[in-house]
Amino acid sequence: MAQMTETTQPLQSALGAHGSGRAGASIHAKGITKVYGQGGVSPFHALGPIDLDIKPGEFVSLIGPSGCGKSTTLLLTSGLEPVSDGTVEVDGKPLTKPISEVGIVFQDHLLLDFRTAMQNVLLQQEIRKLDAEKIRARAEMLFDRLGIRGSENKYPRQLSGGMRQRVSIARALVHDPSMLLMDEPFGALDAITRTQIRHDLEMLWLETKKTVLFITHSIEEAVGLSDRVLVMSQSPGQIVEEIKIDLPRPRPAHLGEYPEFSKYAERIYKIFAKLGVYKF
Amino acid sequence: MATSQDHHIMPMQTTGPNPVIHALGRLYGSFVGSFLIGAVAIAALLGLWQWLAVWFEVPTWLVPKPSDFLGRLVADWQTISYHAGATSLTILEGFALSVIVAVPLALAIVSIAALERGLYPVIVFLNIMPKTVIGPILIIWFGIGPVVAALIVFLMCFFPILVDSMSGFRAVDPRLFYISRSMGATRWQSFWKFRLPAAMPAIFSGMKIGVVKAVEGVIIAEFIASNKGLGFMIMQASSFMDMSLMFAGLIAAAIVALIFNGAMGIAERVLMPWGNAGH
Ligand SMILES: Nc1ncnc2c1ncn2[C@@H]1O[C@H](COP(=O)(O)OP(=O)(O)OP(=O)(O)O)[C@@H](O)[C@H]1O
Ligand SMILES: [Mg+2]
Repeated sequence: MAQMTETTQPLQSALGAHGSGRAGASIHAKGITKVYGQGGVSPFHALGPIDLDIKPGEFVSLIGPSGCGKSTTLLLTSGLEPVSDGTVEVDGKPLTKPISEVGIVFQDHLLLDFRTAMQNVLLQQEIRKLDAEKIRARAEMLFDRLGIRGSENKYPRQLSGGMRQRVSIARALVHDPSMLLMDEPFGALDAITRTQIRHDLEMLWLETKKTVLFITHSIEEAVGLSDRVLVMSQSPGQIVEEIKIDLPRPRPAHLGEYPEFSKYAERIYKIFAKLGVYKF
Repeated sequence: MATSQDHHIMPMQTTGPNPVIHALGRLYGSFVGSFLIGAVAIAALLGLWQWLAVWFEVPTWLVPKPSDFLGRLVADWQTISYHAGATSLTILEGFALSVIVAVPLALAIVSIAALERGLYPVIVFLNIMPKTVIGPILIIWFGIGPVVAALIVFLMCFFPILVDSMSGFRAVDPRLFYISRSMGATRWQSFWKFRLPAAMPAIFSGMKIGVVKAVEGVIIAEFIASNKGLGFMIMQASSFMDMSLMFAGLIAAAIVALIFNGAMGIAERVLMPWGNAGH
């Protein structure tokens, strides 16, 4: 994996030469709630109310039991689903429609089968009608930094799961968004790939300082990546605890090196135990 | 290429061959291979047939020898190719019309719930109804001619294309639209860049079934409702007891079917190179 860190040309400067190097956005959500099928015969209260206060360039993870509304939170903060109650502000501006200064990565890559890896990434440029040359240069940079150089002309089904997910991260970043929303992006990957891709994401984030909202089931991933971990309760999810992670960066592959890591992990386990998420 | 699956984290250092060239290469290899085997088998069969027919002195009006009908294929090639051309045109018209109608209709049906409820039962009914039954009615409306045959072909391939396109449009992962909306895609862009290509494999499999039905149906349609085409020619030969021309027509019909199915296969590989890339 050396080749990923060997070419340590700072991304910010390299990308800055082409793009604006947009800084991270702030996300403010107040009392957001989601009721699916509102007004219908069987409305379902899926989330909230919750508050979010994410600073520009912050890396925040959301961890919680399955079905508690994590994905819903992500959709609400990007405006892809309307809130049932409450307000979302991005950079101080209230959100009324899907924002576009965003990159999204889902658990399964959701690349288009019918486009090569590079064409998938350049879709951002086609749809947003951005400068083709600039975006191409950025895309090449990201392929390089994400260790998928050489896969540009392959179709998604010719790539391994980890490579596909790297391509979808490139797609989420190529247009230089101010925030990155990731919904269990590494959930479908094996442990070895997950550890590596976590590190690669951290390095990329350290250099670009996008605001990241990262959803995960994995305590290790949450602690390994975040400035702050928000722990959610069962459905309809609410945020029950906020944990600041004070570990030096970049963080190592084996987080157990830090005695603090197990303290953070234990705290989260205890919260889940208290909530009755774990029944042992 | 096979080892690409094994390197999860390592980036690929070498670029594989261009996927299009790769696909064409495989097509060529498999096509030539199966073509040769097929040709040998057919030649053997025809040889046996010829030998048996000569040995037992089977009269031509009962079962023609391969040399009889293959000879007719050469001797009457002008007539036969004229009719084969008419048949091909009829297939093309009927098939094109059904694609033009079925694909947009499928999109409308899956997008508008009311349409689905109102229209789908009618479509299911029309689908199970034998299509050739409409032939006599169409003859009264349009007169005997290739138009009626084309309309019957249209009806025959319409339903598989409609049904498969519908399932194609339906099967598109809704989260793809989250991605497209986060890019700020317009409705048109999200149809053109996401939904249509994502539904393409299903649409294509409907079109492939449609072509099979079309080449099958066109001959029957021409039996009952046309004044040109291979079906018509065979029917006419039948009334003159011209057995070797009928067999020649049969072979011509098989060749037309082969060409259309082959063209679909090639179109699929060219239009959807991702479909069989890798693996
Ligand atoms: N479009 C929808 N319509 C109705 N209910 C929905 C919809 N989307 C999600 N839900 C419900 O809302 C609840 C929260 O869903 P959500 O996907 O946000 O959970 P999650 O925390 O992301 O779960 P997981 O960890 O399993 O991904 C679930 O009970 C789910 O069934
Ligand atoms: Mg989820």
